Parts: sequence; C-alpha cells; structure tokens
Amino acid sequence: MIVTKNWLDEWIDLSGVETQLLLKTLNAIGLEVDRHDTVRVPDKIVIGYVESCERHPDADKLNVCQVNTGNDVRQIVCGASNVRAGIHVAVAMVDAVLPDGLKIKAAKLRGVESLGMICSAKEIGLPAMGEGIMILDESIGKLVIGKELKDYPSFCDDIIEIELTANRGDCLSVHGIARDLSAAFNKDLKELNQKEEQEGRLGIGRILQLQHTETFDTELLFGAVDIKELQVPFLVALRMAIIEESYETVLDALLQYATHNTGVILRAYPFSCLEETSNAKSIISLVKDDNGYASLYGKEKLSVIGVSQQKEARFSDNEGLAIIEASYIPPEIISQIMGEKKIDSCPHYYRTSRGSEPKLNFGMRHAMELFEKYSESTVYAGHLELQTPREARVITMNESEFESFIGMKVDKTTLTHILKNLGMLISKPKASIFAITIPHFRHDIINRQDIIEEIVRIVGIDNIPSKPLVFAENNQNTADFEEYRKTRMYRQRAAATGFFESVHFVFNERATLERFGFACTDESKELLNPITATMDTLRPTLLMGLLLSASANVKVNQKKIALFECGMVFDTNRNESKRISFIISGASQMDKLSNAGKAPSIDFTTFTQRISDIVGSFELTAHTTTHSLSHPYMCAKVMINGREAGELFRVHPHVEEELDLGHTYVCELDMDQLPYGLIQAKPYSKYQASFRDLSILIPKSLTYEAIKEVIAKHASADIKRFYPVDRYASESLGDQVSLSLRFVLQSEEKTLEEEEITAAIEWILTGLKEELGVSLR
Amino acid sequence: MNDGDLALEEWYNAIKSADTIDKIEEIRISVFGKKGIMNAEFARMKDVPDAEKGTFAKELNIHKEALNALLLERKLVLALAHLEQTMKEEAIDVSLFSPQSERGSLHPVLETMDRIVEYFTAMNFSVQTGPMVEDDFHNFEALNLPKYHPARDMQDTFYFKDAMLLRTHTSPVQIRTMLSTQPPIRMIAPGAVFRRDYDLTHTPMFHQVEGLVVEEADKVSFSNLKYILEDFLKTMFGDIDVRFRPSFFPFTEPSAEVDISCIFCAGEGSRVCSKTGWLEVLGCGIVDPNVFKAVGYENVSGYAFGLGVERFAMLIHRIGDLRSLFEGDVRLLEQFR
Repeated sequence: MIVTKNWLDEWIDLSGVETQLLLKTLNAIGLEVDRHDTVRVPDKIVIGYVESCERHPDADKLNVCQVNTGNDVRQIVCGASNVRAGIHVAVAMVDAVLPDGLKIKAAKLRGVESLGMICSAKEIGLPAMGEGIMILDESIGKLVIGKELKDYPSFCDDIIEIELTANRGDCLSVHGIARDLSAAFNKDLKELNQKEEQEGRLGIGRILQLQHTETFDTELLFGAVDIKELQVPFLVALRMAIIEESYETVLDALLQYATHNTGVILRAYPFSCLEETSNAKSIISLVKDDNGYASLYGKEKLSVIGVSQQKEARFSDNEGLAIIEASYIPPEIISQIMGEKKIDSCPHYYRTSRGSEPKLNFGMRHAMELFEKYSESTVYAGHLELQTPREARVITMNESEFESFIGMKVDKTTLTHILKNLGMLISKPKASIFAITIPHFRHDIINRQDIIEEIVRIVGIDNIPSKPLVFAENNQNTADFEEYRKTRMYRQRAAATGFFESVHFVFNERATLERFGFACTDESKELLNPITATMDTLRPTLLMGLLLSASANVKVNQKKIALFECGMVFDTNRNESKRISFIISGASQMDKLSNAGKAPSIDFTTFTQRISDIVGSFELTAHTTTHSLSHPYMCAKVMINGREAGELFRVHPHVEEELDLGHTYVCELDMDQLPYGLIQAKPYSKYQASFRDLSILIPKSLTYEAIKEVIAKHASADIKRFYPVDRYASESLGDQVSLSLRFVLQSEEKTLEEEEITAAIEWILTGLKEELGVSLR
Repeated sequence: MNDGDLALEEWYNAIKSADTIDKIEEIRISVFGKKGIMNAEFARMKDVPDAEKGTFAKELNIHKEALNALLLERKLVLALAHLEQTMKEEAIDVSLFSPQSERGSLHPVLETMDRIVEYFTAMNFSVQTGPMVEDDFHNFEALNLPKYHPARDMQDTFYFKDAMLLRTHTSPVQIRTMLSTQPPIRMIAPGAVFRRDYDLTHTPMFHQVEGLVVEEADKVSFSNLKYILEDFLKTMFGDIDVRFRPSFFPFTEPSAEVDISCIFCAGEGSRVCSKTGWLEVLGCGIVDPNVFKAVGYENVSGYAFGLGVERFAMLIHRIGDLRSLFEGDVRLLEQFR
C-alpha cells in the first residue's frame, strides 16, 4: 500500500508532523514502513506556457517552441512528441541541475538556439508518467507561470510504502491509513466536504432497476453518470504513477484512484450492455452464477462481485452513459468460495479478500465528484442500493482485563479515546464493564484480545514496561532434550575429528536416487508441488547431499574435503529417522612439511579410524549395499554392540568419476544405534600385561572375521585382547598371505609365567590349524 | 714440599686444561686408577719416616680431595658444554612449524541454534520436537489458520499427494505439546521448516525456534513477553536496542514484530537494514484464544514467539549469502573452526 504525506494530509491534518515522526508512528501502530522516498523537484524548474510550437527546420523529430517562463518568452527546442502550443509545462531553466546530474546550458540544437529544457516526469526525479513531457493542469493548484515547481505540494512530497499485514484490509486506502493515524495522533479526520444532492437532476430510478431474489451477503450501490470530455487530471496521473498502478482508460484511472483513496471497490459498465424493459428502464440482475458466486448480469454476464469483470462489460469509451457500481462482500465469505472453486480474478480481488471499505456511498460520492470536477459529465441523482442487514458486533470487556493482558494499567480516558478514534462505539462504562461496538470495516476484530491489540498498538509496545514472569520451577529434561544433547555430542565429536558440519535441503532428485537404486517415497505419498525438478522427492539418505557438496568443493579446487551431516531421512512411507553421515574425499590431510607437500589420499584404514574416533569402537563385517553408490569390494556393515548401525564404504569409481571426485569414502549411521549414556567402570587387573605376536600363513580368501571367530573360541580368560598388526603378501607366498596378530595377556590374580603364556598361544594356534588349516609362518 | 707435590701439581694443570669428557676420564684413571699416581704416592708412605708419616698422609689426602673435586667440576662443565652443543645442532626454525588446524567445525546455523537452545533451557524451558511431515490440522487449523485464510498465502506450502504437508513453521510442535500435556508449559521447538520459495533471500528449507509459555488465566502479560525477548536478544547480539512493532500473526493476538538496532551501522543506515537503522529478527504475541480453543484449554494465558535461525546466524557471523549456508562449501565452513 503506497501513500504520500500530502495525500494523507487531505484526510488528516499533518501540518506540523515531521516526516520522521510520521514514519515512526506508522511503524509503532503496526503499519510497517517498507520504503520511504522523497519527491523533491530541483531548483530552477518553473512552470512555462508554450505559446507556439513549430517543426525544427533541420530535424523531423524536434520542435522549436516559444515558451513563456514568467520573466521572458524563450526559445526551447523540444524532442517530445506530445509538445504543442497552449499547454503548461515544466521548464528546466539554464543552470538548473537535474537529479541525474545533467546541468542545463544554453545550447544550439542543429543550429537552433535553445534556452532550457521542457521536462518529462522522469527527468525531474518523479516516477515515469508515460511517454513525453508532463502537461500540467490546475489539479496541482493554480498554475502561475514562472513559479518554481518545488513550491507546489505535489512536487514536494514523501512517498511511503506500507507493508500491510493480512488482517488489515481497512488500511488498503489512503483514508483508512489516515483513520488509523487519527487514533495515533488523537486528532480528528478532516470534515468531508461532500456536496449535497443537487435538485433538478435526472434520477437514476428513471433509467435503472435492480433485480434480485437474494442478497448473497453482498452490499451494492449503483450510480449513473453521463460521461463527457473525461480526462485524467495531472495530479491523478502523477499519483497513479507514484502508487505504481497502470490503467487502460480515463474512466479506469479515475475509478482506481477513487478506490485507492477510499477503499471502496468501484466498477463502471456501459449502459448499453444492460437489457431494456418495456417501461424504458434497463435492468441489472444479481444472480448466483454457475460457480456459486454472486454475479451481476445485463444482456450478458457483467461481473462477479468483488472478483472480476467481463471484458465486454467494461466501459472503454470517453463518452456515454455509464453505470457505476460500488460493492462490498465480506472477505471471509469470498475467500471461502474462492478457496473451494478458484476463478480468475482482477486486481480488486486483493482488496475484496482482505476486506474492502463497506461504506459504499463514501466511495461512490468521491468518484462522482471526480467526474464532475474534471469533465463535463452529468451525474444522475440518487442511487440504487442493496443492503444486507448485518448486526454490529459488540464485545464486552472488564477494565481489569486490559491490565492483565498488557501488564500495565491504561486509564479509562485513554482507552475510550483510542477506541473512539478507531471508529468504535463505546457505551458508557457500567461499573468497570465496557461494551464496545465494532465498526463494519473492522471485520478483523472479533474477540477481547483483538481489542487489546488495538490498545497495545496505539499506546505503543515500546511504552509497555518489561517484567519477568514468576513461575513454578520444573524439571524440563525431556526425552527430546536428551536426544538433542546426544546429537550435539556426536556433532561436536565429528567437528573435533576434522569434519565440517553441513546442512542440506531434505529434497533430492528422484531420478538420480532411483538410478542408484535407492527406494524413494511411495508414489502415492510423493511431493505434489516440488520447487525444482532436482528437488522433487524427500531424501532417503544423507549421502547424495554430501556427495554433491564434495563435488562442488572439488570444482573450487579443494583438495581435502571432510564433511558430515546429522539430519532426518525418510523411508518409502515418509517415516522420519535421524542419521549421521560422513564423507572424506581426496587428501586425508593438508599438504604440509611433514608429508613433503604430498598429502596421502584418504584410504580405508584412515577413514575408519576417524569414524571410530567419533562413535567409538565398532566392528566391520562384509557387506553388499542395496544401492550402487558403493565400491563392491570395499564395503562394510558397521556393527556397534552387536547391532547393525549403518554402512561404510568407498564410493564406486564410476560415481567418483561422474562427480569429479578423487578417492572418496563415506559412512552413514543410524543415530538410534549410537551409544549414549553414562559409562560404568569395570575392575581392572593390577598385574603386568604381556604381549605376544603370532604370524600365520593363511589363504588370501580367508577373512579375518573367520579367524577372529576361531581365536575367540580358543582364547583363555587371560587373553584380554588381540588385533592384527601386519599383513604381508609376496610372490613367494603364492596364494597365501602372512598375517601377524598381537595378543595381550593378563591375569586378574598374578603375573603370568612364561609357560602359561606359551600354552595359551599354543592352544589358539592348534585351534587355527585344526579348524582353518593355517600354519605358522 | 716433596717431589710428590710437584708431580701432583702437573695433574692440577692437566685437569684444568682437559677439553673433552674422554680426556677427563683418562686423567681420572691416571690419577685415581689402580695403577694411578695417587696409589703410587700412598705407596711411598712406607719410605717416609714415622715422624713425618702423619703430615705426609694428611697432605696427600688434601691433594686427593682437591684433585677429585676439580675433576668433577671440570667434568660437569664439559658435560654441559657437550649437551649445549648437541642441542644447538638440534635447533629448528620454529616459524616453519606454525600449525594449520585440521579440526572441523559446527555449522554456523546449527551452532547458533545451539546457543538459542542454551539460553532458553537456562530459563527453564523444555525442548520439544515433532515431525516434519505434518497434517493440515497441526500446521494450520489448530493455529487459527482456517482453510482459505489469506494468511496462508504468507506461507507457500509443500504438499504431498495424500494431502499431508511439510511443516511451514515449528508451531505444530506447540500444538502437539499442548495436546499431550497440561499447563503450565514452558517450551521451545527448534527445527527445520519448509516453504516453497527459492531466491536470494529465501530457501525452501530453513530453521526456526519457536517458544510457548502457558500459565493460568490472567497470569501472562505482554510485559512478560517483552522482558524475556529483550533479555534474549541482548544475550545473542550484545549491546543493542530492541523495538517492538505491532504486527499480525493468526496464532497470536496482540502480535508484534521485534527489531534490533542495526549492528552494521550506528543508525545512519546500512545496506542490511535498508537504511532504516533496524533489523527485524522475531515475531511474537499473546496466544490467540482460538489456538487454546483448538487444543481444549480453558482459563489459561500465554505468549508465543518464533524466529528464523538463519537470519540470526547471518547477522551474528556477518554471512552475506543465505544460500551459501546450504552448499557445504569448505571455504565458508572452515572459518568456524
């Protein structure tokens, strides 16, 4: 909603109100100022009168004008196509400096002297007003030749754009905003100077008749005007440019202007589109149309109340008899119908859906006055009216409620003033009870808290004191908070281990996911309105996001990429589960002195070590993924405490290539499977531990998993731990490899003797020989 | 003085001029070894007349102690010199070794969310979460956003084929909490939310933290809301001014938007504040009676607020580009180590 300070001043006296105070007040009462621009026409731009205008002898597109600028008549060459003798124009005199920095100088244009410039709106810093120069008229005040433009209020103004909230349809007009300001400044609106009906005019009842069976909750008012020599006055054109509204016909311009000014929805129909009856009257009918909307019909359908107008039913001439319609339909009713059966709408619908001004006569009179003032048109006397009886809403409030909601006492006089200035009627308070009657135009005020809001915004929230709330203490360690802390612990560990946390949208591309074999959201539950084709489904994995980010990092020349994300993924039924996923791509560390500038590439061991630094020890078992992102032979299931927690693998070389990635390893874990909780210490032996290495020859195909199983079976209680320390393959060993294992032996009761240690290792070796056929190296 | 004295005198000089630990060891053997000079001197004792034996022995012992002390002292000096030399050879140019941290970092948005959660948990709020895939009731209806309400336009929604939707705010968590518990309630709901909007200043997913306080009727006022939000914003942003502007949200009444004084300018206006000197950071209000009605609460009062975490993170960390927060770009993330 765009207004100007001078325009507001037509409704409320703002003399003495600084622009900054006006802006501050608008913000304070909830009319958020989105933009403030000043209109200031530079010095030395004066009103001139074009006395004559002739074609330039040497240039087809230039005109040589003799322009009266008050003190002299000067010659000015002008290139605008709309310049002609007998018009008032804006003349930039020699030495004037235009807003774009151009300094006007005496010049010769194709050999003809020119002493100034006839200006367009844009050239002097106003919003563009169509092609050509500005043609001024007395709508801006009395035209005095030679008078500087900056001395006219219209050229010295403040444009204010207000970001209105959805509930404030009542402020979708200059008058509506002035009404709110009258409460804020505690100042009455200016008296309306609307003319009384003149006698002796032709009454509208002689030519028009309204037919209807129901009211459909609408309010309608019809007037008639015989249009003659209608023109858009300069002030209206300027203001239409300021509010960034375009119009097709002169009549449109005036009606839109009247609507912007008063908030009343106005339309015009040519009288000729109505059906004539036998008694020489024409009929306009209110009917419910096929879609259930209250609509007007003449010979054909004319319009849908508050929503749209048929193209054929628009008044497009500058002459002739026009029927002017003012209408109102409650926003909640029209929004509902529109929601259920959407039809095309015209710009007026925005007002209708947010609540247009229901005082139809106010808008109608304003429009009629414009016609009379700026043309030779004749307005018919009287109106045709359709009213829907509506009971005014009354809200009763106890005085103490104001204090308990606001937290501050507002005295009765202030309360009464505020509510009255906002157009509410207050019955004399009985005891401490207020009965407040809500005006029709405030459809948004329904309950006591709505009244409180009015008080709060006019009093100003900044004037309300801040007070801490006193409440009963309560243990707030919910399960959700526990979960939040667990997630946070793992995120912090991941960061400490060298991974950068990343956040990706929960959307992926379905085609890509399916190509890699991921099961996506069930078709019947799929996204209906994705924002782009590359984000058309919910992610079943965090890995796609990480891989794409890694790829983007490679493109900006990052060598070492280590990212993680902890977030929700969705199964085919859209059930959510939390995962934490990791990726390392390229180098495992930065290039530095210690690696002579050649950081080693990430490998399985290093990656696995990093993950276990974050989630603790785990076991890896052979695994084949259901998707095709993984390297088939470097892929593991992650087992934590005997339970499957996720997968860890090198990315398939094809995928690495597709995404321009170097060696890339990823791991995706189910957060629910990660341990979290307090650790309980176990007793530990006070005796010395012994270490023994055992090197065995095993077939290449034999997995460590199988060896582990046999050792576990044969290990005595004194074998505390064992782990592989070396694996060696060579040609001389053929199909076999040498595997060295280290055993840690320790007793709870004593320091182990050499014989006891040897016996324990021997027993394991025997087991390995017998069950797996391995030999000592 | 006998000739023995003269012989010993030479050893004093020898020790003083020894320049290596090995030389000192040689001298020690020559003087104190089995076949050393000291033993030889003591052997001469038998030839000394009895009357002089005492003096002879006494002098010899004085020499023995003096030589020993001199030897040890010289050895220590040489050992220290040797260590000094060794260490000198180990010298490094420390400036070559200024480390480059290889630690990772938390994401600025989630780290900001952590700070917000910390503030409110310290104020005895509970943390609640809820599903991202929501239904119309929890996301709209119960929040006083009936079907076809124009305010629904403010939140362009992602829908699914089965009429479910992605939550457009974390407010449905408030509804779920109110439906499953009884007042008093002090809760926040942090999490990701979704709106169908993607341009320079909007992403289809972003993060919110919403808060809700419900107490018995007439207990919670706008003053209380002002208090906690002013305190919260000063905790997050430091020394700033806070301004409340009346606004409109369907689920609160009265509603307000909260601005902080621009942290980029001293009131003269910056690009970020569009030259207004103020930055909008929060929405809040007194809970609308229709919301309480939807969850079956009677005779209660309460306030609610909500904020966008990305906005906070961008202001606090001076991050210029919203979309960069979702690109996993190491060049941004490594700055938060």
